[in-house]
Amino acid sequence: MGAILKLEKLSRYFAGLAAVKEVSLDLEEGGLFGLIGPNGAGKTTLLSIIAGSLKPTSGKITFKGRDLTGAKSFKAVQAGIARTHQVPKPFRTLSVLENVEVGLRFGGSQRSGNDAKDAMQVLELVGIAHRQHSPASMLSVGDMKRMELARALAARPTLLLCDEVCSGLTESETEQILSLLRNIRKAGTTILYVEHNLKAIMSVCDHVIVMNYGQKLIEGSPQTVRSDASVIEAYIGKKAAQ
Amino acid sequence: MSEAATDKGNLFPLLAKAAPLLLAVIAVAFIPAAHPSPNIIRLMFVTLVWVTTSVAWNLIGGFAGQVSFGFAVFYGLGAYTTAITYSTGVDRFDSILLGACAAMLASLLVGLPTFRLKGPYFAIATIGVSEAVRVIMTNLGFTGGASGYRIMERGPFNQLLHYYIALALAATAIALSMLVRYSKFGLALLAIREDEEAASDLGVNPFRTKLLAHALAAALTGAAGGVFVGYAAFIYPQGVFGFDISVAILLMPIIGGLGTVWGPPIGAAVYGFVHEELIASFPQFHLLLFGSLLILIILFEPAGVMGLAYKVVGLFRRRK
Amino acid sequence: MNTVDFLNLLISAILLAGVYAAMSVGMTIIYGVMKIVNLAHAGFLMLGAYFVFELYERLHVDPLLGAVLAFPVFYFVGIAVYWSMVRRIPRSDQPTLPSLLLLFGLWLVLQNLGYMIWGNADRAILTPRTFSTLQVGQLIFPTVRLVVFGVAVASLVALDFVMHRTWRGRAVRALMQNSDAGRIVGVNVDKTARIAFGVGIAFAGTAGGLLAMMYSFTPDFGGSFLLRSFVIIVLGGLESFSGVAIGALILALVESFSILVIPSGYQPAVSFSLLVVALVVLPNGVAGLWNKRQRLT
Repeated sequence: MGAILKLEKLSRYFAGLAAVKEVSLDLEEGGLFGLIGPNGAGKTTLLSIIAGSLKPTSGKITFKGRDLTGAKSFKAVQAGIARTHQVPKPFRTLSVLENVEVGLRFGGSQRSGNDAKDAMQVLELVGIAHRQHSPASMLSVGDMKRMELARALAARPTLLLCDEVCSGLTESETEQILSLLRNIRKAGTTILYVEHNLKAIMSVCDHVIVMNYGQKLIEGSPQTVRSDASVIEAYIGKKAAQ
Repeated sequence: MSEAATDKGNLFPLLAKAAPLLLAVIAVAFIPAAHPSPNIIRLMFVTLVWVTTSVAWNLIGGFAGQVSFGFAVFYGLGAYTTAITYSTGVDRFDSILLGACAAMLASLLVGLPTFRLKGPYFAIATIGVSEAVRVIMTNLGFTGGASGYRIMERGPFNQLLHYYIALALAATAIALSMLVRYSKFGLALLAIREDEEAASDLGVNPFRTKLLAHALAAALTGAAGGVFVGYAAFIYPQGVFGFDISVAILLMPIIGGLGTVWGPPIGAAVYGFVHEELIASFPQFHLLLFGSLLILIILFEPAGVMGLAYKVVGLFRRRK
Repeated sequence: MNTVDFLNLLISAILLAGVYAAMSVGMTIIYGVMKIVNLAHAGFLMLGAYFVFELYERLHVDPLLGAVLAFPVFYFVGIAVYWSMVRRIPRSDQPTLPSLLLLFGLWLVLQNLGYMIWGNADRAILTPRTFSTLQVGQLIFPTVRLVVFGVAVASLVALDFVMHRTWRGRAVRALMQNSDAGRIVGVNVDKTARIAFGVGIAFAGTAGGLLAMMYSFTPDFGGSFLLRSFVIIVLGGLESFSGVAIGALILALVESFSILVIPSGYQPAVSFSLLVVALVVLPNGVAGLWNKRQRLT
């Protein structure tokens, strides 16, 4: 198992301000990686760059050996990367089933040939199969987040980028999603998971990366990261670290 | 109301959807058998041309959500290309085809720079392009300039021939619209309309998809212009490139129901008949009426006639 | 072309730019605060023209005064339009189709009203001022254009003052930059939007009156100016005031000097082509270019 995703000194500036500054990262294939950091650390920006929604100002992205730097998001999807959005972006007037169909039919890889069945499968996986015909605009926030995940999953990605898929969910709902992520990883998908819910991250990830002020602060196993002084400082402040 | 976007592997629903079209075509085809006045045939002819432009505009404006305020440019280019080629001896059907091709090529020229634009910029750009072409055509010598282009008619005028040509084109347009709507391509268009960024994040290529829909819409509109030429003795820039033509083209799908399959034809029928009546009886009020109609639709029933229809059907369903 | 002619042309372009700027600033305010492209702007330009015309013809009010009076009158018209129609359509951070179509419908209605009331004959406002000129050295200025320029610039300066020195003005600017943030700090969005809409229409009315002093007009008077307004605010960057001034200057210069090289029939195509070029090459307008440094995307 080698590195499926390589980020080399990735930077993204917005009018002179660095949202992401020289971040270098290697993600091993089949791993479940957590990306954490205080608000404004640049986590979602980094995710957007990897997904192709945003172009990096400088740096290089290599995915499965291919240079994907600057590739638009639909190209990234075809290469095998799919993402969810922190704030869900549903296709409002389409039904839940149709929303997932978009991911399924444009997402690139292996399909069984029966789209309706595959779509239902994904819906069942995330737990919203009962809402298949509802217009997406009528979903609750939690269900919308699940649909986000379902859409991305329907694209059968090799690398799944999750952006706060558990925020706004209850304990048990969170646990459902986390076990879903574990299963997805077991099936061979690499996952990069941005989350504010530190407990969730620590319980499900085997490797955690911490960002602050656009830069990579530290990375390591959940235990290492949890007790690291600079991480505590970043989140809570100097006093707590001392 | 949400129907499945795709109906693959399920033949019956597809046939069920095509049935109304077949019925409508047959009905319209038999109208001449009742020997209506030539004026009625003319009215129907014009309405059928509008049905085509209405359905065409809806492909890009309704399904894909890219609102063009300058579709007259394709109508006019189709008209002029057909008129000029026909007058120089080209077969009628070929000249209409050439009109469609000219419009389709133009759509690429228009789309390539403008589909990158966000927000209202696209709508504004389409106005600019259409008006620029109109001004140029008004000044161009060989196309007759402002006084227009006279079409060399070969043989006697056969009103019914043009009626059936217009019907054939309108039926083709509606059929294509149905095929698009329930296909993978159609799903991409709807996704782009709802959230272009999210669509791209799921693998849809927005730029290419929009260009394709635009090209199809332009080709149909250009063909409509070419068909119209068959009826006209001459055409002039203000009459085919005018902003009011662009307005009419977009008004009809809105009246009928933007983004639906049957909305645009219904809207075209409503517009066609009402417009003719208005022009005949109250020529000085027609802008007022259409403006007010538009305002009322936007304020009270943005989904047009189809929206109203669904609501009525919903009422009946609840009563059961 | 000699220096005198060149200077004459240049100065007349600048004078025109002033009026163009006043004409377009109304659209900018409305778009900036509500993200609504006001297609009815053309209708209000037209009504402003006829308003001033009627005041002059019937009450012998000096058209300049008439144009100034148009401001409060059209302000209330704008408030009425907002209250009756605009506030009922869904609000958004993006321009919406319903807003586009609603105001377009309104434009159609206004045009028809114009035709019904005044017919389609060409009208013009002719005062002793219309034909007089001012001579400075070898340069000749039509007086009309000078005074119109004066009023236009005065109104823009007043606007600038209000926008930067009064609470309401700053509220408007806040909403133009970020309506959610504005809401959070306590700006009453609905009230401010209403005022912004009123001001936008007021400027349209006044500018229409000023334009009527320079050109003859019919009820579809607004159309060509609407397109010019688009060009200006696109060149300037749809949401910036200084951009409007720059855009107006560029358009006025291009229009004035293109007469030298392009046959007059093609003249309108100049603004259209400039529009399309501007949209494609400068998606954020000229203002966008130099704002890139300050703005966060």
